[in-house]
Amino acid sequence: MSAVNAMSAVQIDGLQVAAGGRVLLQVDHLRVAPGERVVVVGPNGAGKSTLLRCLSGFAVPSSGRVEVLSRTLAPQALSSPALRALRADVGQVLQGLHLVARLTVLQNTLVGALGRLQGAPAVRSWWHRFPPAEVDAAQQALQAVGLAGRADDRVDRLSGGERQKVAMARLLLQRPLLVLADEPTASLDPAAAQAACALLRQAAESATLISIVHDPALVPLLGSRVLGLRGGLIVFDGPALALDAAVLSGLYGPETAPGAG
Amino acid sequence: MAYAALVLACGVTLWSAGDLNLGRNPWPNLARTLADFAHPSFLDAWWGNPRLEYRSEDGTLLRVEDRRVVERSFLLALARGCWVTLQIATLGSLLAALMALPLALLAARNLGAPRPLAMAARAVLGAARAVHTLVFGLLLVGIVGLGPMAGILAIALHSMGTSGKLQAEAIEALDMAAVDAVRATGAGPLQVFFHGVWPAVLPQWLGSHLYVWEFNIRDSTVLGLIGAGGLGLLISEATSLFQWARLATLLIAVVLLVAAFDALSRHLRQRLL
Repeated sequence: MSAVNAMSAVQIDGLQVAAGGRVLLQVDHLRVAPGERVVVVGPNGAGKSTLLRCLSGFAVPSSGRVEVLSRTLAPQALSSPALRALRADVGQVLQGLHLVARLTVLQNTLVGALGRLQGAPAVRSWWHRFPPAEVDAAQQALQAVGLAGRADDRVDRLSGGERQKVAMARLLLQRPLLVLADEPTASLDPAAAQAACALLRQAAESATLISIVHDPALVPLLGSRVLGLRGGLIVFDGPALALDAAVLSGLYGPETAPGAG
Repeated sequence: MAYAALVLACGVTLWSAGDLNLGRNPWPNLARTLADFAHPSFLDAWWGNPRLEYRSEDGTLLRVEDRRVVERSFLLALARGCWVTLQIATLGSLLAALMALPLALLAARNLGAPRPLAMAARAVLGAARAVHTLVFGLLLVGIVGLGPMAGILAIALHSMGTSGKLQAEAIEALDMAAVDAVRATGAGPLQVFFHGVWPAVLPQWLGSHLYVWEFNIRDSTVLGLIGAGGLGLLISEATSLFQWARLATLLIAVVLLVAAFDALSRHLRQRLL
């Protein structure tokens, strides 16, 4: 932990991501300190998800340097085992949550432990056998999100809010050092969205948190620093308190409006 | 338009080759066959002539047979044939599904297998699907000899193609985001398979397996024609001796077998999905 603390959680230099001749994202310089709470805002297609995908190795930059938890993801790609080791430390909550529909709540939660299993326990996990300590931890995580009684229900029988809680329990069990949350509150009602943000903060208690949200009201719940993206560029980088109406209209307003920051 | 032209071309070439007729005396032949069919041989097992006398042209008694005993032993052979047919279809289909699974994983376009491997897997599945079970059977009878083993392998090889295509399609219809979510936890390839892919494709896998199995019950009834065991052997015997009454019995058995299995598989499908 101390080695990670001494450096940045995320360090990006001269990053460019292009697809089909179009530049999706261009970040000249970005540093996120360990333990920082960053919220990324911006219109659809601004490159927010692409930024997060670069940090988890799901998107490969065309050029530039990306370091996550002091491991270099670009320009040299990590080997598959090293990438898996990194991902075990990076917790992700993706748009739409993405639980495995036919597995139970407990089985979906235990997916969070897969990355750290080695040797025989890793093989036993193929038929959903986990070390008792992990099962206990999973039960505790379900308790923490308020799903203790639903462990054996299949997730495709749950409501949207309950699925959200399963995704959070999975994240709690994973105990990541960096949490990437891509619209974790999508399709939740306002009360459930607030509860989800509280759970997300809890899951990322001792970690760095980078989240994408669309609702400005949720920004102060999730972070103290705001990154505003527009057209693949970071056009605002400042404290959450500075995110006022002028900045927002600069981000989401018509194309001709000058970007703030 | 192109289709009408094709149909016309087929008709004209058939006619010009002189094959567009039904043989010399179709109606008497039809009548005789129907008359034999109307009296399926299994009835003889209960109501057959107990003293059927075979005489030569000059009237000497050649031999006497009890139709009931003969038919009962035939029915026993029929039951054995049904069992062998079921054996061939069941083991062949299972073998096919197991062989198809790794190929389907490689062939599915969304799992990102290395390109050459994916192309090779698709080529193998396509080739297996293109060659008919009977052709595989003929080849295999020459290799492993007469008997059900040739049938099982023939079914397995051909159905591997069908089964693999269905499985690959099931995998392609998968919710990739959920698979990515499992991958995002740092899970290894086999962990991703068992936690993200397998639970999601299991219903389709079972469904396609049942479908292929059902199909193979029908297919394996004719495999005996080429010496690969099962009901087909009895069918080829009956047809080459023009024993239409026995053929009627055999066809009734085939229909019952297939219908029974269809009902069973429908029931299983409803239970499993």
